[in-house]
Amino acid sequence: MPTVAQLIAALPDHEDIAASPSAALTKRLDAASFRRVPIGRLHRMGLLGTLQAKVAAAYLFYWVRGWFRNADEKERLRAEAHWRTAARVLDSMNYLRGAAMKVGQMLANFPDIVPTQFVETLEQLHFAAPPMHWSLMREMVSNELGDDPEHAFATFETRAFAAASLGQVHRATLKGGVPVVVKVQYPGIARTIGEDVRNLLLFMLPARLNADWENTREQFEDLRDRLEHETDYEREATTLQKARSLFREGDGIVVPRVYPERTTRRVLTMERLDGAHIDQFLATNPPQELRDEFARKIIRASYRLLYAGRVLYVDCHPGNFTFMEDGRLGILDFGCMVELDDKLWDLFRKMDRPMTTGRREDRIAVMKEWSWIGDDPTEDERRRLTDEFADWQWSPRYCGHVFDFGDEADFRRGTNLFMEMARKRFSRARPSTPMMARQHFGMRAMLYRLKAKVDVATIADEEVRNAGWDRRAYTQT
Amino acid sequence: MRVSAETKAETRRTILTVARRLFAEHGFDATTTRHIAVAAGIANGTLFNYFPTKEAIILCLASEASAEAIAESRGRADAATTLEEAMFVIVAATLRKLKPLRTYLTALLETVLSPIAVAPQDEVAALRTEHLEAISALIAKHLSASAISPVALQLYWALYVGSLAFWAGDESPKQEDTFALIDDSLNMYVAWLRQTSRAERPQSHL
Repeated sequence: MPTVAQLIAALPDHEDIAASPSAALTKRLDAASFRRVPIGRLHRMGLLGTLQAKVAAAYLFYWVRGWFRNADEKERLRAEAHWRTAARVLDSMNYLRGAAMKVGQMLANFPDIVPTQFVETLEQLHFAAPPMHWSLMREMVSNELGDDPEHAFATFETRAFAAASLGQVHRATLKGGVPVVVKVQYPGIARTIGEDVRNLLLFMLPARLNADWENTREQFEDLRDRLEHETDYEREATTLQKARSLFREGDGIVVPRVYPERTTRRVLTMERLDGAHIDQFLATNPPQELRDEFARKIIRASYRLLYAGRVLYVDCHPGNFTFMEDGRLGILDFGCMVELDDKLWDLFRKMDRPMTTGRREDRIAVMKEWSWIGDDPTEDERRRLTDEFADWQWSPRYCGHVFDFGDEADFRRGTNLFMEMARKRFSRARPSTPMMARQHFGMRAMLYRLKAKVDVATIADEEVRNAGWDRRAYTQT
Repeated sequence: MRVSAETKAETRRTILTVARRLFAEHGFDATTTRHIAVAAGIANGTLFNYFPTKEAIILCLASEASAEAIAESRGRADAATTLEEAMFVIVAATLRKLKPLRTYLTALLETVLSPIAVAPQDEVAALRTEHLEAISALIAKHLSASAISPVALQLYWALYVGSLAFWAGDESPKQEDTFALIDDSLNMYVAWLRQTSRAERPQSHL
């Protein structure tokens, strides 16, 4: 991950937009502009919003700059100029509040990599005071549910208690007395996402440098799809219901119940799970056994969703998990899930072998297929790094003993490998790769903070067995 | 025959009620003044004594709705903590009341309600005055400004009517874009007001 200094260095500069080489393009875009709805929420968020937006823009800029490292100087500069402009567009994007928050959450997962106070600031963003005032909220709920919140619910707190990506969350009680949380989306944001990403891609057109362009575009379109999915609360409700059905009481893992009669595309009403956020939990100095128990549940939940639900839980940031007093783990947010199509499912099926055996040749075989790496000697470095990264990702599973997730050196090894891959432009892969990396880092970061010691293989075996795969060729049992 | 003020008011009320129903059933364009007169049980000529055009009927309905909205939302507007929110309360309440008339508003917006319209009719004047009075009172309360300049009020009126125009043609689901527009416009306007009142304050002390 970039340091703060690097982030600041990468901040989009403030030169006049007219002076940039893409002024003509900007004009063209303006001319062809869709009906722009001004939703300048960032401004209302004041400094905080601007900081978030800048960090997000800078981070993306920094990330993408790595892709052009090997291009010649002139082309690289040209690409950077376009990226600066793109970052500025990004900065003005209406839904960036949500996207920025995502980046913030991601960075907050790496406590040892960014300075403490930075993390603390970002941590607070998960639950930052939201910018929709109550009267606007009331209109939105009324508009969506056809009734004012004070009539549709027995109680409805006028102050939001959490900011969700692209919306905010309020505590409420159903008429029957059930405590719920109601997630409400900012008006008009959902539809601007697709349009904004289209604009961003237009800006990127001149940056089509090499064969990786198609891949970059696919990854961006994937990002757009995910953001679009996240704005459809009805879709999220369906995912929640599906996920909920995968867990049984004995698992100690709980997914909140959805109340469809109080749910629309813009309003999501679900059961309230009261518990502690990871920081609050750790502040109580929980014993190793309790931390391990929660860690096992986090791992089991992600495997259950993967092997029984065929979905990846991508949003593995601390704000989405609640440590309940009775020992259960609550999973709160299902806006960002990757459903595995047949192709990906087949790849995961193949991945089970290296994950189980830990043999290098098994890893290489799968990674070559996943990231389209050839046998060419020019791909040696790529092969080496990809393999090392896969080894880091999967070793907790095949190491043959209880794995210590609190090992700082090991954790750093993973982040360093990932940064090196990004720097060397080895990002070419299937569109879902960034999401998967995000999922894995998110989970590892949580387990690291729990300083958990877990026998991952046992959990994995139980969960994979339920997928009904034929594993005789590489397992003992 | 002399018609008493009471009968007049009653006829007027009947026309408005009937018109509201016919507009809802058949739409603004398909409803003629003749239809309204027949349904109200009066002669076409009599109708014109009350309302010279269909637009005048809509204007009157809008004016009434607007007045009701202000009366009903005053309490909530007073309870709002920020000026932005207080103003939003009034505007949102007006939209709720105007909702049945939403798609017919275009007819008014292009003519009488336009910020550049000259010689406003009584109904417009009433609608405008009442709304602006409510807004001025909120501004005075929150910014402790002694008087709001006519320019500031005219600017507000332009934003407000602009939002109504946007709303009349808003094709977004459940007109959600309008809420974003109003929210944003009010934030922008209040920010400008604050800036202006800060800039003027030192002079007032001289």
